[in-house]
Amino acid sequence: MKRFFGMSLTLALLVGFLVVLGAGFYWAAAGLGWGFNALSILFGWNPAGSISPAAVSYGVAVGNVLTLLMVVVMISGSLLTVAERKWSALLQNRIGANRITVAGHPLGGIPYLLADALKMLTKERAAPDVRSKLLFDLAPVLSFAPVFCLFAIVPVGPAIDLGAFFGAAAGAGRAVSLQVAQLDAGLLYLFAIASLSVYGTSLAGWASNNKLALLGGVRASSQMISYEVSMGLSLVGVMMAYKTLRLEEMVVAQGQGVMGSIPAIGLLLQPIGFLIFFTSGFAETKRAPFDLPEGESEIVGYFIEYSGMKFGMMFLAEFMEIAVFAGVITAVFLGGWHPLVVNTEWLRASVTPVWFAAICAGAFLVKMILLMWLQLVIRWLLPRFRYDQIQKLCWKILLPAALVNIFVTGAAILIDPSLQLLAWIGLATIVVIGVLVGASGRPAPAHGASPDHGGHGGHGAAHAAGH
Amino acid sequence: MPYQLDNRPLDFRERIYFPEVIRGIGTLAGHFLRNLFFSRDANPDILERPRGLGYSDNVTLQYPEEKAPYPPGYRGLHRLVPREDGNPRCVACYMCATACPAQCIYIEAGEVAGDPIEKYPVKFVIDELRCVVCGFCVEACPKDAIRMDTGEHAPPSLERSGQLQDEKALLRGPPVSYQSDPWLRRPSPSIPADKLAAMRASARPYHADATDEYAQTPGFSVRALAAEARERAARAVAK
Repeated sequence: MKRFFGMSLTLALLVGFLVVLGAGFYWAAAGLGWGFNALSILFGWNPAGSISPAAVSYGVAVGNVLTLLMVVVMISGSLLTVAERKWSALLQNRIGANRITVAGHPLGGIPYLLADALKMLTKERAAPDVRSKLLFDLAPVLSFAPVFCLFAIVPVGPAIDLGAFFGAAAGAGRAVSLQVAQLDAGLLYLFAIASLSVYGTSLAGWASNNKLALLGGVRASSQMISYEVSMGLSLVGVMMAYKTLRLEEMVVAQGQGVMGSIPAIGLLLQPIGFLIFFTSGFAETKRAPFDLPEGESEIVGYFIEYSGMKFGMMFLAEFMEIAVFAGVITAVFLGGWHPLVVNTEWLRASVTPVWFAAICAGAFLVKMILLMWLQLVIRWLLPRFRYDQIQKLCWKILLPAALVNIFVTGAAILIDPSLQLLAWIGLATIVVIGVLVGASGRPAPAHGASPDHGGHGGHGAAHAAGH
Repeated sequence: MPYQLDNRPLDFRERIYFPEVIRGIGTLAGHFLRNLFFSRDANPDILERPRGLGYSDNVTLQYPEEKAPYPPGYRGLHRLVPREDGNPRCVACYMCATACPAQCIYIEAGEVAGDPIEKYPVKFVIDELRCVVCGFCVEACPKDAIRMDTGEHAPPSLERSGQLQDEKALLRGPPVSYQSDPWLRRPSPSIPADKLAAMRASARPYHADATDEYAQTPGFSVRALAAEARERAARAVAK
């Protein structure tokens, strides 16, 4: 019971901390926007007392790069290496890493982060003499950098007025939002950058000049290129439903009510699209059950020749991919920064705009954490697919399903542009999936039964089957 | 815990795979939440830990801090059984060294000063690296002077010499005296006169049974372990 209350308190504090963190991000972005404007006036590029849109948005973008990319992506990527140990231990009824303690407390394994960093940085850097030197050094960078770039279009929080921070005179009318870049291309940028990361893996396999690494690289590129197709098609339905490519507009659209006050979140409108995108994105991150390119223990992956921090970068890039992927799904399918699935106008009315935005950002981060957790659960749920199973899943299941989804979505929007019909179709799909999941299959093994009892039951069943 | 599933072909729901994946997520999430919110029971008997809602599913034993009890009859590290006066019961008869199939026991005998017949081990060294833990030395000993009832396994050491246990390291545990002991029946110069009476008074009849409770190492009782195992078996049958 002590642990139950302690854990509940810890989780509540975590949510509170995320909200405060969101507020901090907003103040950092707004402060830099205001500061850049002040600098531009100081240097005489703008007349005194004016507000330069370019300077403000540049400052806000720099603030967001520092907070979102360096803090959110980097920190959650590194914390995921700890979670990989600790969460998997909890899933597997173990305790997990608890031998490094601070003042006698293992702190959930977080001090292992420091030990890992020290290990990675101080390890010997061995590289094969026969490598292609430039490409060998370039590959970790090419798998690391696109992940950062991907997060640039993810809107972590809503846009609020700069005047809300420093008074109306200091900058009314200029928007501050927790998003590095508002691009018209939006999701297209996402596909473009996501397909860049395949270069990192295939170049790593090629440049190592090692047959096994090359095979791993070839497996990686075939898998990633295949799943890009279904990933792209799975989002077409969302683009049609929200009539935009921009993620921030999609999130705003997900706050609008459909079917009464239930908001039109992507999961409701596009449940099949969600499943396909989740599966394809999972394959893009190259993690179990799609860890065919790596297969550390059995089939040897593309980074076999990498050591030290170069390996560390590839390793970390994979974890950051999880974080970024969770962010994209949150924005596209889970209502983005909308704090709850019901109408939140009362919340917006009862707190200041900055704190409302901070609560929204905190909600986004909570959803992101839940999705990262879900990815780790699936990583431990399924064994690795075989190569032919991976290709079959992509080309024979996901791709046709995505195409059907596009046509059904298109027809539903054509018949009823108010998205009502689409929402009903989505609801029906969710109900069907729920029934399929809930339908009784094999009886679950009795929990807590003594081993003797289980043995007898099994023997009896085998005996009956023999007859 | 192993369990049996009936070996029948997959039904439709299982063949479309995704519903089963979602069910699997539910199962794993249940484990995760139980382990996250409820603390681990430290009972070394893992099958006896409470299970179900409100309890952690954790099966870990934090080894160096928590130890699982060894089964009854476990042959642990040797010890030389002391007498009440602190000397070993061993009379350096070489029976154990002769019986040892691994030849890991080395004994140098010495004579007790002023006594025409009584001997004692000047050196008694067991090489735990050579020992095959067969227990023949315990069986061979006519004086109940060597036992393997410590319940400990050989501790790790950085050098081979660390595994050589000499008479100082081996001489430990509760002292034992029997009424039939020759050094009690006739006054021996190895025992001070004032102690002799006390030792004679506390001596017990020679044991007919290898698991005499009163001479066991404290905290390691073969009888208690056997009783626990019987209880556990009875509980399993009752379930």
